[in-house]
Amino acid sequence: MKKTHNINIGNSIIHIEEDAYEMLTVYLNEVKQHFSKNADDFEIVTDIENRIAEMFTEKLAEQQKQAIGIEDVELVIQQMGSVKDFETSEEAAGGELPGPEYDPIKKLYRDTDQAMIAGVCAGLAHYLDVNVKWVRLFTFITILLFGSGILAYIIFWFMVPKAKTRAEKMEMRGEETNLKGFANSYLQPFAVQSRGFVAEFLQVVGGFLQGSGRVIFKIIAGTIVFFGSIFLLALVVVLAAFLGFWNSDVYSYFPINIVNEEYLVTLTLAVFVILAIPLLALILFSVRVAFNGRSSNRVLSYGLLVIWLAGVVTGIFYVAKISSEFKEGAEFAKVTPLKSYPVYALNIDRARIFTQEDSLNYRIDANGYKDKKILNDLDDDFNMPESISFRMEKSMDGKVSMNTNYKSRGKTFEIALKNAQNIHYDFLQADSSLNFSPTVHIPKKANWRGQQIELVLNIPVGTEVKISNKFAEFLGGYNYWDCKQEDDDEYTIWVMTDSGVKCKYERLKKEN
Amino acid sequence: MIAENTQTQMRKGILEYCVLLIISRGEIYASDIIAELKQAKLLVVEGTLYPLLTRLKNNGLLSYNWVESTSGPPRKYYTLTETGRAILKQLDGTWEELAYAIDTSRKVTDQQSKEPTNQTES
Repeated sequence: MKKTHNINIGNSIIHIEEDAYEMLTVYLNEVKQHFSKNADDFEIVTDIENRIAEMFTEKLAEQQKQAIGIEDVELVIQQMGSVKDFETSEEAAGGELPGPEYDPIKKLYRDTDQAMIAGVCAGLAHYLDVNVKWVRLFTFITILLFGSGILAYIIFWFMVPKAKTRAEKMEMRGEETNLKGFANSYLQPFAVQSRGFVAEFLQVVGGFLQGSGRVIFKIIAGTIVFFGSIFLLALVVVLAAFLGFWNSDVYSYFPINIVNEEYLVTLTLAVFVILAIPLLALILFSVRVAFNGRSSNRVLSYGLLVIWLAGVVTGIFYVAKISSEFKEGAEFAKVTPLKSYPVYALNIDRARIFTQEDSLNYRIDANGYKDKKILNDLDDDFNMPESISFRMEKSMDGKVSMNTNYKSRGKTFEIALKNAQNIHYDFLQADSSLNFSPTVHIPKKANWRGQQIELVLNIPVGTEVKISNKFAEFLGGYNYWDCKQEDDDEYTIWVMTDSGVKCKYERLKKEN
Repeated sequence: MIAENTQTQMRKGILEYCVLLIISRGEIYASDIIAELKQAKLLVVEGTLYPLLTRLKNNGLLSYNWVESTSGPPRKYYTLTETGRAILKQLDGTWEELAYAIDTSRKVTDQQSKEPTNQTES
C-alpha cells in the first residue's frame, strides 16, 4: 500500500504515488531553477508541465491504472531529459551560459525529526548552521528574560512550515535539491507526518505531560493537597463550633439568625457535607496525581457521591422551607405626637433605655437599672442588615408627629404581624432634638424575617430639620451630600415647603 | 569534450532549421514535432525543444493557437509566421551552401586519404 497525492499539473488532475510525487517535485524544481535565468522561464516550464501531464495521462490510459508510480516518473524524466541534457545543448548555443553552479538554496523549516517541542530550534539550527544545543540555550535564556522567548517560539511555530517532504528536508539542511541529492537522501529513513497544527499541538502537550510537565503538575497537586487539607480541617472546626462547642450567641447574629433554631443542626451538617466532600475529592485526586497512586476505591467514591447528593437535597429542602417563612408580609404603624418647634435636630443616639431583655442578655438585675440608659457599644448590630429608613412628609393639620412603621415577613400574616410587633425600636424627644437608636432589636431567640422600621416625620410647611451626618445613612431618596454647604459640615438643614422637603441651602441660593 | 561541443553546435543549428521545416508544412503540435525529430535522430530529450520553440516564437518566427483536445487540456499548435517563412527561405539557401561546402571538402579529403602519405584520421 502506498499513499497517493492528487496533483494538478498542466490543468490535469493526476493521482500520483508519494515517492513518485517527491521525485517529480524535485525534477520540476530543478527545471524551474534551470530556466530561471531565461526571460521566458514561465512559458517554458508550463510547456514542459503540460507535456508531462500529457505523458502521464497516456501512461494511465495505456496501462489502465489509477496512479502514477515512481517508474513512470523515471521514464518521463528520461524522455524529457534532465537538466544536464538541457545544459549541454544550451552551452553550445549560447556559448558562455554559466552552468547551474548556484549555491544550494537553504530554507527555514521546522525540523520535527529532531524536535524537543515543535522543531523550531532544530530548524533554526539548520538554517544558521550552528549546533542545535546553542539555539536551545539561547531560547531558554530569552524565556527567562520576561518570557519573550515563549512568544517568539509560538510565532515561529505558527509561521514556519515544518519540513514534510524529502525535498523540504533537503532544503532545510541546505542540500542540493536535485535528483542526485534526492537519490542520496532516499537511503535515509524518513517519516512523513502530515497532521494539522492542532493535532500536533495536542501530541506535544501529551508528550509534555508525560515528561517535564509531570513535575509541574506534581507541584500544583501537592499545593492543592496542602491547602485543601488545611481548609478541610478548618471546616471541621467550624462545624464543631456550630454544633454547640461555641457560645450560642452566634445564633442571634445575621445571617445565621435567618435559620430557625430547630433546623440549624441539620442545615449545618448539610452545608458541611456539600462543601467538604468536593474538597475531599479534590484532595484525593491531587494525591493520586502527585504520587501516582492508583484510582481510589470505587465504593468509597460512590459512597461520597451519595452522601454529597443527600447533603444537597437536605440543603435545598431547608432553604425552601426557610424561604417559605418570608412569604407573607405585615406591618403596623405607631403614631407619636411631638411637641411643635420651628427647628428640629435629628441625631443618632447610641444610648437607649435599659430593657427587661437587656437584663436577661447581660445577666444584670433588672430592678437596679430600671429606666436607666445603657450605651450600645456596637456601631453596627450584627442582628440584621439595613433595616431603618427615614423620610419627611408634609403635615396637613399643622401638627407634628412621628409615624413608626414596623414591618416584617412570616409564613402567614399572623406570624408576620407577630414578628413586626416583636421589633423593639427607640427614639427620644428632648425638646427640639430627636435622638434615634442606630439599630433595630429583635428578641434574642427570634429569627430574622426581614424586620424593618420605617420612620415618617410629619411636619408643617416652614419647619426646618437639621440632620446630622450620622443620621444621614437612614435617609432614602434625599440627596444629602448636595445639601452640604461645606464638606466638613456636621449637619445639613432641610425645610418643608408646599411641594415637599427641600434643601435649605439650595433654596437660599436660588433666592439670592 | 571539444568534439562534443562542436557536435552540439552543429546539431543546434540544424535542429532549428529542421523545426522550422517541419512547422512550415502547417499547424502542428509540439509532441508531433518531437516524434518526427526523434525519428530523424536529431533530438534525444524532449525538454530541449520547448526553450527552442519559445525562443523562435519570441523572435517572431512562430505563432501558436490553442486547440481543444479530445483527451485533456487544450494544446498549443504552432504555425510559421511570414518572417518565419522568409527566414526559412534564407536558411534553405544557407543549407545548400553548407551542403556544397561540406561535399566539396569531403571529396578532397577522400581523395587525399586514398594517397599513402596521409596520417590516420582522428
